[in-house]
Amino acid sequence: MSELTTHEHEEETIPFYPDHFKTELKVVIGLTILAVFIGVIGLIAPVGLGEPADPMNTPMHVKPEWYFLALYQVLKFVPKTLGVLIPIVGVTVLIFWPFIDPKQETTRKPTIIRFIVVAIAVIVAIAMTIWGEMS
Amino acid sequence: MHFNSRLPRKLKHSILLLGMIAIVSISILVVEATNVQAGTASSGEKTGDQSLRVAEMGGVLKGSLLMTIENNPNAAIPPPKKDPCLHCHITGENKGLWTPLARWSLFGSMGLIFVFGMFRTASVIINRTPWKPLTARTTEWVDERYNISEPLSKVLSKPVPKTALRWWYCLGGITAFLFVVLAITGILLAFYYKPTPEAAYASIQYIETQVRFGSGIRAIHHWAANGMVVMCIAHMLRVFIMGAYKPPRELNWMSGMLLLILTLVFGFTGYLLPWDQRAFWATTVGSEIAGGIPVIGNLALVFLRVGWDVSAETLSRFYAMHIIAMPIFTIAFMVAHFLMIRRQGIYRPL
Repeated sequence: MSELTTHEHEEETIPFYPDHFKTELKVVIGLTILAVFIGVIGLIAPVGLGEPADPMNTPMHVKPEWYFLALYQVLKFVPKTLGVLIPIVGVTVLIFWPFIDPKQETTRKPTIIRFIVVAIAVIVAIAMTIWGEMS
Repeated sequence: MHFNSRLPRKLKHSILLLGMIAIVSISILVVEATNVQAGTASSGEKTGDQSLRVAEMGGVLKGSLLMTIENNPNAAIPPPKKDPCLHCHITGENKGLWTPLARWSLFGSMGLIFVFGMFRTASVIINRTPWKPLTARTTEWVDERYNISEPLSKVLSKPVPKTALRWWYCLGGITAFLFVVLAITGILLAFYYKPTPEAAYASIQYIETQVRFGSGIRAIHHWAANGMVVMCIAHMLRVFIMGAYKPPRELNWMSGMLLLILTLVFGFTGYLLPWDQRAFWATTVGSEIAGGIPVIGNLALVFLRVGWDVSAETLSRFYAMHIIAMPIFTIAFMVAHFLMIRRQGIYRPL
């Protein structure tokens, strides 16, 4: 592999087995306990169903799953074509982002900038999701 | 040592073995014998069906040794319409946790551990050498045949940088674990789900009310699905913030983005399956939005809906996507994702 991947500096490492494996095992066991806990709660309070589907009868408030609510809310204010294009273009740009920003970094500053951008985007997305849920 | 050292070794071994078998079988017989009348010792099973109690009380061994149908006044031929499997597998009123399967598994495994302990003790006494752990024995057995200890030790001793031990490095692994949880609970749900508009809603009601642990399995599936979307996005944001997408990791980032899209498609297809009002109309709205894509909009809409409206065809297509197509693609891209990480190593930040 090229110079991009050789590491000159001495790095503090631990062996994968058994040290890191045991750490990961603890995470897995913890998550399994959490899953069982959710299952037990589900036995007492099941997820449930709404009314059976009726193609003739559109309910008042139709909403997609929560992870699409932000987009749904945006679509209410933006014309349909543009509203569809924004996520498609956005996701495409994100997919090809390593080719847009390939510059190897020497300082921490770009990381901090990216963190701030992501923080703002996440807050906006959560706000739009809550708004989408409310209306 | 209690053994008489003047006895030949093979005789000693035989005595030991026969002694262990005698102890185990006598204890089983004693337990079975004392349990003849204690049919209701099993807690929580108040079916009132006496014919099933025969099968309940310790199973075949007891039934054949100590009781025949003629001797036991409680026994009766099961009524023709009642399926004995339904007693513990799916029940109506009685949905207790303590089933014969649970009892047999618990006490059976305790018994096996006890028998193994006796065997191990005997082996140590006879051979006068320390016990070789089962793990070492197994790895030796496999290694004699497949000779994998060298490549395996190379894989297992791969160094993990200490910078990668922070909690935000776990997010990807948590996503993968949630995928496994969803696969297992999804398989269990698919055992009972019926993918037609007429039967879907009722089959999920059946799962939630009649299937043992059904509502629990469904709850895990529901929340693990939401959790996987959250963890996948969080993992993506972590990688983005740390700049771990930069060359030489471009393909890895792209495979990861694809996995995020596949996760959202999983969610979208799975959401329709209950066939309730919310599912039906959310899918209608979602495919309308897909129909708004320029140029290929109509094609996308008709492909999703299999026609112009959401119908039984849509449900079949979404179900096949959800349980066959999406899992295959997701597993393929997950393997690619993991292999690339393994090959290139964890990105080391500044």
